[in-house]
Amino acid sequence: MGASLPPKEANLFKLIVKSYETKQYKKGLKAADAILKKFPEHGETLSMKGLTLNCMDRKSEAYELVRLGLKNDLKSHVCWHVYGLLYRSDREYREAIKCYRNALRIDPDNIEILRDLSLLQAQMRDLTGFVETRQQLLTLKPNHRMNWIGFAVAHHLNSNGAKAVEILEAYEGTLEDDYPPDNERCEHGEMLLYKISLLEECGFLERALEELHKKEPKIVDKLTYKEQEVSLLVKLGRLEEGANLYKALLTMNPDNYRYYEGLQKCFVLYSENGKYSSDEIDQLDALYKSLAEQYTWSSAVKRIPLDFLQGDKFREAAISYIKPLLTKGVPSLFSDLSPLYDHPGKADMLEQLILELEHSIRINGRYPDRTEKEPPSTLLWILFFLAQHYDRRGQYDVALSKIDEAIQHTPTVIDLYSVKSRILKHAGDLVAAASLADEARCMDLADRYINSECVKRMLQADQVALAEKTAVLFTKDGDQHNNLHDMQCMWYELASGESYFRQGDLGRALKKFLAVEKHYADITEDQFDFHSYCLRKMTLRAYVEMLKFQDRLHSHAYFHKAAAGAIRCYLKFYDSPVNSPAEEEDNTSKTPSQKKKMKKQRKAERAKKEAEEKNEESSASGNSKFGKRHIKPVDPDPYGEKLLKTEDPLSEATKYLKLLQKNSPDSLETHLLSFEVNMRKQKILLAFQAVKQLLRLDAENRIHIAACI
Amino acid sequence: MGGGREFAISLDGVRDKNVMQLKKLNTVLFPVRYNDKYYADALASGDFTKLAYYSDICVESIACRLEKKEGGAICVYIMTLGVLAPYRGLGIGTRLLNHVLDLCLKQNIQEIYLHVQTNNDDAINFYKKFGFEITERIKSYYTNIDPPDCFVLTKFITTSQANK
Repeated sequence: MGASLPPKEANLFKLIVKSYETKQYKKGLKAADAILKKFPEHGETLSMKGLTLNCMDRKSEAYELVRLGLKNDLKSHVCWHVYGLLYRSDREYREAIKCYRNALRIDPDNIEILRDLSLLQAQMRDLTGFVETRQQLLTLKPNHRMNWIGFAVAHHLNSNGAKAVEILEAYEGTLEDDYPPDNERCEHGEMLLYKISLLEECGFLERALEELHKKEPKIVDKLTYKEQEVSLLVKLGRLEEGANLYKALLTMNPDNYRYYEGLQKCFVLYSENGKYSSDEIDQLDALYKSLAEQYTWSSAVKRIPLDFLQGDKFREAAISYIKPLLTKGVPSLFSDLSPLYDHPGKADMLEQLILELEHSIRINGRYPDRTEKEPPSTLLWILFFLAQHYDRRGQYDVALSKIDEAIQHTPTVIDLYSVKSRILKHAGDLVAAASLADEARCMDLADRYINSECVKRMLQADQVALAEKTAVLFTKDGDQHNNLHDMQCMWYELASGESYFRQGDLGRALKKFLAVEKHYADITEDQFDFHSYCLRKMTLRAYVEMLKFQDRLHSHAYFHKAAAGAIRCYLKFYDSPVNSPAEEEDNTSKTPSQKKKMKKQRKAERAKKEAEEKNEESSASGNSKFGKRHIKPVDPDPYGEKLLKTEDPLSEATKYLKLLQKNSPDSLETHLLSFEVNMRKQKILLAFQAVKQLLRLDAENRIHIAACI
Repeated sequence: MGGGREFAISLDGVRDKNVMQLKKLNTVLFPVRYNDKYYADALASGDFTKLAYYSDICVESIACRLEKKEGGAICVYIMTLGVLAPYRGLGIGTRLLNHVLDLCLKQNIQEIYLHVQTNNDDAINFYKKFGFEITERIKSYYTNIDPPDCFVLTKFITTSQANK
């Protein structure tokens, strides 16, 4: 370790390492300084000192020292290792990998370095490298369970599932018969389930089923066992057994839509797009009626037939489904039935149905074919449903009249005000919608959901300051910006960003959009700790799922919105840079000396403003954060001006565009934006490609295309 | 007393977080505007002020004020008791009033009273069923409504009543 240090210094060096590991940084520093007094050029001590400094937030010194240490002792794997650690803490993973490789060249069998390298490779999805490293680890330490599992997972990720299964079998071969001990049963069970799911993925279905049955006593998670079994049975075409197993699963949970789907598949009565022939409909109807007799308390069994039934049968089923829910007073009834509005003809039938019920209740106080009187709340919920119904069909006046009547009937129900606010928003009156949402909010100040809805409406109505004040009511310490940002409250940031954009405040809009983008970068970073954790805890199926999720992360809707918003900001900024002080290259109407003077003037103004703000903020933060160890970084650019200062907005825009194109290729917006950006960059070929993609996606929407050309 | 008994009636206290519900009810039910002191008294009366929920919809409320008489005894003054029009006759008012009377019994409060407009026969009959009696008539009690006179209905609760 310590290159030729006398014993006293060698001990001190060990002390530095231990202090670093136990986070006693001051102690480590003192020890390092002690060694350096005698051996000022000792590379490894310099590196360790740098590492300790890095953990104390003195980054620039840290880098200097580490580089110096490395220079002094190029052949030391410790120095390279430390350098790699430094890069890793700064999320520069590619550089870190390079350093680790160098370290390995010097000391090829160092377990620490190999382990760290494998984590980095998993993070960067360097799959071939990952496999190699894992193999080496296994060869070096075959008695360590994690190395076997890690090697198997590496092969699986590298799309070599068969190899992974082999390895797991070999690993099992090394175990004894009475394994696992009681405290490891869950983990062992998880590993077995993972192996079986691997077999299923590779297509060895018979073998998987055999394995499943053989290992049944060792598998702890019985529900997953059943679900896995039924999936294998169905894939193998053993439909009757599958159907029986699905029925058993339904007894456990009769509201699980996937089980019903699976059951339908077993009877070959399942259709992806929901379209069935009338024979099939009859069969399905009979099936669900029999299931309904068995599972009387399940709501799914009554709701699913509404999807495939047609005509009179649909009417019957709908009536019997809706009536009890109206009597009970279920506010979410409309949302539940809302997908039916996309089916042709059903919306009209529902309207007729409900209007009949309404009429009957108004006149008689009871349903058309019943004798008992309905409670007064039923009329309320019917009006509530009708208001949402007319809102959905675009008849806003009728909707408003219905909801107003409902409010008159029972003014204390908060949902009524929320729905009225939504109707107003659809009808275009955003300010009224916001004020109504506020009224709803006041009726229950302890409800955060209503508060958030109110904030959303205010942002849609461009009342940003008011929205912030309202959102603050529920944040910790009342420090709303940091808190909502830390909690990754993306809907809020997106809505604010869009509001600022509408008002023309590009700097702030851009800030918000980029904040969302940063959250996604953080989410990608967060997976780092799980590489070692999941292997240790054996939660392998969940781990692999998570990695797949991370690979698709940027196709998420919020990211799409944020990237689109950012690109639009940059485009607008590029098109009209006169408002911002920085972009003067396009401003040809002024002479160069005038431009320079203006630039200087504005720079001075801005510097003054920034200095003022900094003073304000640092004094404020000084007062409030007194006594805390970590000083929160003062936001140096609250109005986003520095962001607007970018020299080349189009290249920034292209950065986000590339991410969008890779992850959301089926979205019209992606290609529209691509067209806009590329036209401005004069890259006609790329723009043309974008138009082609648009045509592919939506050949009817020629208006867009025409606008482009 | 009324049908629909299979629907749950539940009671909930009034807090600063949901006092708006009480305000909404009062706006709709009563011709009188109540000021901040009313709401402060209601909140301060603790368990005596309640909202009643019919099938999870807030339809009724009773708001009370605790007053000290000379001699140190506490008496309860019912400031408002009202239910939304569609939900009358379902036994909710009875439930609320019984709740308050029970509380009085438990806390040894011996007097409970309220004001009723002279033409409000329904209310007078309702309270009489619970043992309230007209003890006074005040002329021109109300300033903005007609008739401006009111009755004072009082119920005296003695512990011997509980043993009956």
